[in-house]
Amino acid sequence: MSKISIPIGPQHPLLKEPLSMKIDISGEKVLGGSLRLGYVHRGIERLAQKRNYVQTIHLVERVCGICSHIHTTTFCQAVESLLKLEVPPRAQYLRALMCELERIHSHLLWLGILAKHVGLDTIFMHTWHDRELALDVMEEITGGRVLHGANQIGGVRFDLDESHFPMIHANLEKLRSQILGLLDILENEPALIARTKGVAPVSQKTIRQYGVVGPVARASGVDVDMRRDNPLPPYDQLKFSVVTMPDGDAWARTIVRAEEIRESLNLCEMILEDLPDGEVSKRAPRNVPEGEVIIRSEAPRGELFYYLRSDGTDQPARLKIRTPTLAALCLLPVQMSDIQVADIPVVLAGVDLCVACADR
Amino acid sequence: MTYFRKRFSIISAIFEALIKPPETVDYPKGALMLPEGFRGALLFDTDQCIGCGLCVRNCPADALHMEKKSRDEYKLIHYPARCAYCGQCEDNCRHGAIYHSNQLVKPTDNPAGLIVVLKEKKEA
Ligand code: SF4
Ligand code: SF4
Repeated sequence: MSKISIPIGPQHPLLKEPLSMKIDISGEKVLGGSLRLGYVHRGIERLAQKRNYVQTIHLVERVCGICSHIHTTTFCQAVESLLKLEVPPRAQYLRALMCELERIHSHLLWLGILAKHVGLDTIFMHTWHDRELALDVMEEITGGRVLHGANQIGGVRFDLDESHFPMIHANLEKLRSQILGLLDILENEPALIARTKGVAPVSQKTIRQYGVVGPVARASGVDVDMRRDNPLPPYDQLKFSVVTMPDGDAWARTIVRAEEIRESLNLCEMILEDLPDGEVSKRAPRNVPEGEVIIRSEAPRGELFYYLRSDGTDQPARLKIRTPTLAALCLLPVQMSDIQVADIPVVLAGVDLCVACADR
Repeated sequence: MTYFRKRFSIISAIFEALIKPPETVDYPKGALMLPEGFRGALLFDTDQCIGCGLCVRNCPADALHMEKKSRDEYKLIHYPARCAYCGQCEDNCRHGAIYHSNQLVKPTDNPAGLIVVLKEKKEA
């Protein structure tokens, strides 16, 4: 049968984000694919060099619309480490609480998209409905549903008081009962298993070759998690397990993310229980002393890398952001062989696309 | 057995969905429940503002602009369409002159709404 190339994107009903792919097919079989990126490049790294540190926090928050908080956290940690500023423990815990809530809502969003791509629209509705519970908590405590504006250099901009706790606990409890029930159903759902098990498995070797991180890597048996391997406070005091699966297929990725939601729910409760008292922020000077620093943290989609160089002024001299999604996107052409045309959405959903992150 | 129970739990979900009210809000007709600390439309208190310009310095979106000739002659302008509703100006203002309400910004078709003069002070 002859080979046909179909272009998908940058605007395509299958994709929620601008990404262009060319997929070669022969009949129902996919032979290969190639990828074009850069449609939402905003030059954030360059823009950061023209703004002061306070303005840059709000800029890096806009790298990604899903994991906005971890970007500001990592950036603030980089600046604080150049300033040699000790962040109050309460602020560290509050940051971690937001990170975990963000992980829950990011994974639920992903689960919904996967379910939609395989035709389980009911699951999509349920996961996206339940995701609102996590978003409500974040909106209640920080004032922003997606762009929380929670961080500042030296701490956080919000504090929890007694009036917040009942709502947070109620939402977490509701999330726990609804999500865990849903995950139980999902993990035994024959339709989902049939569509994802054994689809486009990626070996551990390929993962390492492409430098893929996060849940995609952990689903292929690569045991990396920056929260454990390179813990920034308070993760060195929190107990959690890192979930890995050996198979590397779309099913393994589903299970890894589902388990991570459970872990994150536990972590949220642990954080709320151990929340130290005290101030939530310290005053930071405007100018940052000369130096350079690398901070690595665990975003919902994997390891996030920030390199920051300062020349002693109030503006960063260089800011380099390496997001986890770029490597995962490069994995797409590798997976686009030896699969059926109907599996393309599953493969696309499997890597948890975030083109805005990858393009920056 | 558990398998069948799980598969048919959908029936109870259907009945639940029949009697539950909708999750979405009929905006702008319905009542919108926004939390107390929601960063909504900016409010401004002219009497409190001393024209120090601290809010302008850290605005990440260039949404605030100060034309200053002297301590007694200045003009503070806000461009709502550029504003990111980040709350940085509120944090920076030491006099509580600029702050967020917890109300959404109303859509407008009036181009004059794109430039808001918050305060204009002229030398007496
Ligand atoms: S809310 Fe943010 S973007 Fe808007 S005027 Fe204030 S500092 Fe500028
Ligand atoms: S609003 Fe506040 S920060 Fe801005 S000029 Fe007036 S007093 Fe200064």
